[in-house]
Amino acid sequence: MWRELFTSLPFVLIISLATSLLLYFYGGRISAKGTKTQGKLAQYACGEELPAEKLQVNVERFFIYAVFFLVFDILAFMLATSLGSPGLMPALYATITLLAVILLLPMLKSRIG
Amino acid sequence: MAWEVGLLALLSTLIYPGIIFLVVIALFYQWVDRRFYAKLQNRYGPIYTGPRGILQPVADLIKLLAKEDIEPSAVDKQIFRAVPVLILTMPLTALFMIPITGTWALASFEGDLIFIIFLMTLIAILAFLGGWSSTNIFSTLGGMRAALQALGYEVPMAVSFMGPAILAGSLSVSKIVQWQASHGLWAILLNPLGFGIVIVAFLAELERIPFDIPEAETEIVAGWQTEFSGRKLALIRLALDLELVLASGLVTALFLGGPTGPIPIIPGIAWFMIKTLVLVLIFSNLRALFARFRIDQMVSGSWKYLVPLSILQIVMLELLLGWLSF
Repeated sequence: MWRELFTSLPFVLIISLATSLLLYFYGGRISAKGTKTQGKLAQYACGEELPAEKLQVNVERFFIYAVFFLVFDILAFMLATSLGSPGLMPALYATITLLAVILLLPMLKSRIG
Repeated sequence: MAWEVGLLALLSTLIYPGIIFLVVIALFYQWVDRRFYAKLQNRYGPIYTGPRGILQPVADLIKLLAKEDIEPSAVDKQIFRAVPVLILTMPLTALFMIPITGTWALASFEGDLIFIIFLMTLIAILAFLGGWSSTNIFSTLGGMRAALQALGYEVPMAVSFMGPAILAGSLSVSKIVQWQASHGLWAILLNPLGFGIVIVAFLAELERIPFDIPEAETEIVAGWQTEFSGRKLALIRLALDLELVLASGLVTALFLGGPTGPIPIIPGIAWFMIKTLVLVLIFSNLRALFARFRIDQMVSGSWKYLVPLSILQIVMLELLLGWLSF
């Protein structure tokens, strides 16, 4: 019973988290405590002034790849669930997806340039 | 004796092949990587701390832990503090599902391959969050690149992992290793393309030189790690070292037969060390060989070549299995 507990996933996760937290707090104990000046607490930057509010993540670049990612992750999981019956059907499914990549990529190129 | 078995399990989780062993081997592989990389560039690499500089990674870790931890006033404090702790937790947890001493991993269950893929995706997402919470132009750019890069390499990697899984008929890393051991056949022989794709994808996952775009120091200082210092940087560095062990251990388990070999006298741990060391040297060699790609080249190249090749590999494997079963 103890053996199953000590090698179970939640226990391993907790142990790993505890190790990270231990290192983190130990680092806090032994680290040098300097004085805090305004210049020290400023961000690393140079050139033009850029306030933090103006930093935005450009979602547009992500979008097309995120859609691709979604479609092909489904392929990966379809293949993962086809373990019981290897052979023609998974191969056929994967071939169709392969053809879709080959056909879709030039279309994507002509669409976004 | 029930409690003695329990104690043994607890010790193996904490010491060998658990936490302490994993951290030691991660620091050792960092030394191997740095020495070999330096040799390829006609440098010495670390030589002063310990014999041949073998203790240099430990010294670096302690030095970073003891340095002042500066949090810029503009950062999003909760995420900024959580990211280093969590990013170290992920590869440590995943390494418990890799067989190291024998054909069984310490914490193995059916479907742990999927769980490892999930943990590796979380590492990329944490990198993005770390860059974003720093509210710094360099960090935000680096984090965005990390996320975009993850969208590129994740799919071919996951599809290539399915090759050995289909061969063994299981999604458990331990069972894949056992299948290879009992059949006396390494999965790389039937998945050569998949092996190459996984190596390339892991170079991107580890942010190593042809794909070190998220932390390209000539363009964006240190990428998403720019604002991290002191103990936070120490944890991130240790996490990257553990990721190297995870990458080489996972490739060993899935494609190279895991900790088993043709000579039965040599124990499993020795086979594990030999195979992972060879893989670490391959990673270092590739790191010294290439120059950095641009992010758009990396993502579009991955979708143009890696994804179709990985699917092609699966189609060939499935057809071969179907042909053999007739």
